[in-house]
Amino acid sequence: MQFISFKVCKLSAKPEFIEAAKAGNVLARKCTKCDDLHLATVYFCKKCGSKEFEDSILKGTGKVVTYTIMTIPPAGFEDLAPYAWVVMELGDYDLRISGFLANIQKPGDLPIGAAVKVIDFDDRGIVLEKL
Amino acid sequence: MEKVCVLGAGSTKYGKLDDSISDITIQASVGAIENAGIEPKEIQAGYISNVFGVADKQVHLGPVVMSNLGISECPSLSIESACGSGSVSFREAFANVAAGFYDAVLVTGTEKVTHTGTDWTTTYFSYCSDFFYEGQAGASFPGLFASMARAYLHEFDATEEDLASVAVKNHENGFLNPKAHFRKKITIDDVMNSAVVASPLKLYDCCPFSDGASSVILCNEKFAKEHSKDYVKVIGSGRGGSPAALQGREHLTTIPSTKIAAEAAYKMAGITSKNVDFAEVHDCFTVAEVVDTEDLGFFEKGTGATAAQNGETKLNGSISINPSGGLKSKGHPIGATGVGQIVEVFEQLTGQSGERTVNDAKIGLTQNFGATGASCAVHIFQSV
Repeated sequence: MQFISFKVCKLSAKPEFIEAAKAGNVLARKCTKCDDLHLATVYFCKKCGSKEFEDSILKGTGKVVTYTIMTIPPAGFEDLAPYAWVVMELGDYDLRISGFLANIQKPGDLPIGAAVKVIDFDDRGIVLEKL
Repeated sequence: MEKVCVLGAGSTKYGKLDDSISDITIQASVGAIENAGIEPKEIQAGYISNVFGVADKQVHLGPVVMSNLGISECPSLSIESACGSGSVSFREAFANVAAGFYDAVLVTGTEKVTHTGTDWTTTYFSYCSDFFYEGQAGASFPGLFASMARAYLHEFDATEEDLASVAVKNHENGFLNPKAHFRKKITIDDVMNSAVVASPLKLYDCCPFSDGASSVILCNEKFAKEHSKDYVKVIGSGRGGSPAALQGREHLTTIPSTKIAAEAAYKMAGITSKNVDFAEVHDCFTVAEVVDTEDLGFFEKGTGATAAQNGETKLNGSISINPSGGLKSKGHPIGATGVGQIVEVFEQLTGQSGERTVNDAKIGLTQNFGATGASCAVHIFQSV
């Protein structure tokens, strides 16, 4: 795909995004025109339409926004149920990320607002842990 | 712009069907053609919506349908937009008839998946999510809507029993629909005691995987008047989008694409939500119907669950929601669902809906979305 000319970013930031998640971080892109913050997997700013970004490594800690506890899972997750799938808000940033969180049995184990962090990325996608 | 009308409608039963995907698609199409009182050779284009034809060894369904209708020369296309495929297909057909490209077209939605089993369907349906962030991380569709349900119950004064009342109401309606997947009444206790799929959603909060096909004939008003008195006008059509992944949405108790599509459809129709007599909405899960009825403007945000519990959405309540039984009871053959909703509205507005008829209905609305509402189409219909 090298024949495609990209002025700003690589064709896909997913390898770097995954590497960051493995280190417990979230690779984000900050719009250089309006400062809006996005996960690094986007190509254009949702607020102003710009494609000029600078990379920003965010600490993968934050709070649970919502979640479910999966008891009837899709293929590949049979041996892991029950587990949670969580939407979390990253620290003080206006940015959310979602992922897999193991060993959650009942809602009391993971109240909304509970502190969680990104710890890995593997065949379960983004992996989270309770703090 | 030409005025566009629905001239006829046909549908297979929804549920577990023995016939192949090709056969059910053709059966529904023939039903619509006969109901419209036209000849296949009057059809100028075919729009086929389908998601998992691969599961029954037939994609590129359009030419197969057209060939069996004796009109192999007629152009066709297939449209996939997850669970919203049917309404998107209808919208494309609407736009082409409105623009004057065609006088009359066939719109058929179809799905055949029950033979694959729950594991296959749960897994493959998860490919309709933003897979990198959702399906890959173990979120099934019940899981994604359960996350919305938890946010709703946390944010508003609503209970799991309120959500369950949506399922009970839709089963009451589906009981009256001869083509529904489930024709049995259930109770709040049945819902609350059913197995937890993805908390807080239980099995009876979830619609089934269904087989089925639904079809309508869409045409301009001149063609409609020449052929039949029993037609319905399409007075509004709108589409919208939302961030594909739930993490990209500011609020998890509303679906942005529904609001965008509804606003466009109401504007085109020149009406507001108050003018709508009944609606077929996308109740893939109980919480979805609650959110839909708020996003469409029938209830204030946060009050839809209570309204359902109070019976306002029952057949001939203050606004009848899903008189067909909805996805929950009528069933959810995903590529067919959006067209099936329009079949229901056509039957309601032309006196063909039997025991489940909404009294004195003049205006009906359909709302059908893909995935967690990443895409949505809303249509508004008026009797003549």
